[in-house]
Amino acid sequence: MSKRDNRAADRSPMQPSTDSHASRARIESLIAAGKAREALDRAKQLFKETRSAEAEALVLAAYEARIGAMLAKGLYDDAEALAALVGQRFPAHRDRIVPLVKQRKSIAGGDLRTLLAELASAAPPRRREIEAILGRELRDPRQLADAEALPAGDPLRCAAKAVSDLFDAVTSGPLAPGALAALDGISRHSPLAPWKLLIRALDAYYRRADGAVRANVDAIPPDSAPARLVPVLLHLVGPPEPLDRPSPAVGALGRAVGGGRPVLRNHLAQLVRALEARDAATAVSAVERALPLCESVSVKQVLAATVLQQWSRLNLSPRPLVATLQRDRRNLEWQRDTARLIALTLERAGAWDQALIFWDGYLADANRAGATPATGRETSRVLLHMAGLFPADRDEALDAFDLDSEDERDAMIRDGELPECADPGRLLARARQADPDARVFRALVAHWEARDPRRAETEAEGWRQAHPQDLEPLLYLVRAAERRGAHRKAIELLDEAEAINRLHPEVRQSRFRLLLAGAERRIKEGRFALALADLDRLEKEPVTTAGDTFAYLGAVRSAAMRRNGDGAGAARLHQELASRLGNPTMLWLILSSVGELFSLEPPDAPDAVSPAQAVQALARSCDLFRALDRPLVAPPDLVARVEGDLDGASAADLHSLCIGGLAMGRPALTYAASGQGLSCDGSLLHRFLLARGRALAAAASRRDRDRAGPCLRAARELAGRARDMDAVREASSALDALVPSPELPPWVPRQPGADAEPPTPEEIARCLRAERAPRQVPAFSGDKAPRKRRRARRRMQRDLFDDLFAFLEKDP
Amino acid sequence: MNPFEVLGIDQTAGDEAVRAAYLAAVRRSPPDRDPEGFRRVREAYDAVRDEERRLALRLFGPAPLERLEAVLDEVPDERRFVGPGPWLDVLRGDRA
Repeated sequence: MSKRDNRAADRSPMQPSTDSHASRARIESLIAAGKAREALDRAKQLFKETRSAEAEALVLAAYEARIGAMLAKGLYDDAEALAALVGQRFPAHRDRIVPLVKQRKSIAGGDLRTLLAELASAAPPRRREIEAILGRELRDPRQLADAEALPAGDPLRCAAKAVSDLFDAVTSGPLAPGALAALDGISRHSPLAPWKLLIRALDAYYRRADGAVRANVDAIPPDSAPARLVPVLLHLVGPPEPLDRPSPAVGALGRAVGGGRPVLRNHLAQLVRALEARDAATAVSAVERALPLCESVSVKQVLAATVLQQWSRLNLSPRPLVATLQRDRRNLEWQRDTARLIALTLERAGAWDQALIFWDGYLADANRAGATPATGRETSRVLLHMAGLFPADRDEALDAFDLDSEDERDAMIRDGELPECADPGRLLARARQADPDARVFRALVAHWEARDPRRAETEAEGWRQAHPQDLEPLLYLVRAAERRGAHRKAIELLDEAEAINRLHPEVRQSRFRLLLAGAERRIKEGRFALALADLDRLEKEPVTTAGDTFAYLGAVRSAAMRRNGDGAGAARLHQELASRLGNPTMLWLILSSVGELFSLEPPDAPDAVSPAQAVQALARSCDLFRALDRPLVAPPDLVARVEGDLDGASAADLHSLCIGGLAMGRPALTYAASGQGLSCDGSLLHRFLLARGRALAAAASRRDRDRAGPCLRAARELAGRARDMDAVREASSALDALVPSPELPPWVPRQPGADAEPPTPEEIARCLRAERAPRQVPAFSGDKAPRKRRRARRRMQRDLFDDLFAFLEKDP
Repeated sequence: MNPFEVLGIDQTAGDEAVRAAYLAAVRRSPPDRDPEGFRRVREAYDAVRDEERRLALRLFGPAPLERLEAVLDEVPDERRFVGPGPWLDVLRGDRA
């Protein structure tokens, strides 16, 4: 090609063409290639230059192609406007252009009659064009199946009938086996091919073959009419295809087919995104849309509880959320339920005092509405639960209400400045009135025991009268009478308890304990004959044959003899006891402890005690004094010696030392004995881990205390596996009593499941490895568990819910 | 997991009805053939086996879920046959 030719070829399309023939050919090729816009620009230029009839025909063809392209893209209004413009500019051709647009627009609106009428007599090229349009626009195969313009035997019409019938069948019930074979005759070039895939996808959807659903919808051409159901089907079968702004028809379909589940999933996904972005307005609107989709109350409750929990964690203002949750004013039951769920959320967030207010409101409302009778178990359980929300630390409870004393609290309640629910005693009294159940009485007795022992006894007496066959209040009253020295009363009560169940272990122990206490009291009073008579009776009790009890009774007898001046008799008795016990150190420990009780000089310590003998003496003494509920006085040097030399001790002795250490307030002994016990696997492994956890809970440093939780959780899990339910309960109580880490802000909820979830075998193994590894012995803060750090007022949570209280007051 | 729905009983069901529903559910999901189903049935029964537990569930439940999406697990995955109408409405409606 010459340079001149090259220049001509490089000319801009807008440059006037010198060769109209070449331009015409170029424009026609552009139209054929679907490049309508460029073809129209060139045709308009050519027409401007030549003003010939040929150029006019060409520009009209280009306009037609451009309008066709717009129609194909669904730009019907634009196409209509352009056709009107062309009609104005070329009035002679108006009748050709404008009806074309109208026809296409009516097709887009679902009216295929004209097209189908044309199809009946169309030549093959036009038929292919019409079929392509049908592929894109046929939104109901019944239209094609019922098209009277087509002969009854037209293959396309017959296939459309098969498709239509199958579409009705597949959406109305399970298909008969082999029913899909009716689609086999439809080729993949047919305008019905996308429908064939859609029907197969629907069949797979109802058979729950979600993989087949995806495979079929993936093959549906994206420009076909059935493709409009592809995102819906993908959404119905599950994530990750949430629909953005689903149309009302899609929403209705989702609800009708999936019972609202797919739409609910969509709203939940939006809610999660909104919460991640802390976008409260969007989150509230997602909640608003999701709630009506929860068909059952239980799902609605779970959704509300979960959203409230997340809301509280994110520290978002609860007002709009609560307003949304309580929007349905006619559903009073749900309104109450929302208050209940808010109370539970506050509890979990640690805001127990605010939870109390919500519970109080909930109960008052439920009682008023008659939904919950004022007397009955339900009301009683709520009140008991409310009382249980108060922290064990009474000062902490007072701090929450900015009070200095319980007297101040009572005065403020009397003056109406504080609600009655600020007093756990009043709550429990109401609970007892609603349902005088044993657990209410138990809580009442425990509540008053620490405040007013006489009141606790009164409550226990009420319990006894309400439940005459219940041993628990009687045994409490026996102990209470014993504590205040009312020995005769205690014996009378014990007689009643024995009348109910003489064989109950605690009843038997109580009888022994009372007789022993009587003997000890008489020795102190100098009534030695009576004391010795008591001891004679005690020695006949079956309990005496258990373990080393005889040695304790012998020591008491010897104390009576010594106090009565019979030193020789006491010495003989010591010899007899030493021979029966087989461990002089143990006898020395028992005699020392009993002697301390009666202000007697301790006997001389035995010489040359072996480590094994010392360990055994202390272990057995721990068991004995714990069983008799008597204080063991162990010399510190003996305890230190035992702690430092536990090699070779039996697992049973180590376990006794673990328990004894805790009972004596010597966690260091428990720590050492549990460490030795943990060094080997055995049936008591969980018990040693439990003891280690309990000892660590009393450590002085937080670092050591933090080890207690994993130990206790692992111990609880291992105890559960070993079916040692006492150990499970003990580990749970110890876990509950652990002081929370002071670094956590008080409003941060404890991770639900952090304690509840059982540790994995790997976590247990890790815990055991860590506790078996050589470590420095922790320092222990005195003999008691560390006192809880006084918390500052929970400013944050109060701020958070302040506006909610105001809101609810305005809008009850 | 709503234990009442797992056992297919009403919230007001008594101890005997709960026990009967549990035994029927165990027959449907025996531990040797459907261990996962049996676990769910067992947990559901533990949660509602006596009146005290049912009351506790009613007053102090449900526990919030860790993930909001898990709420969906509480909703049965139904696939209802609704006829061609709602499907065709979507096809007709999108461009109407």
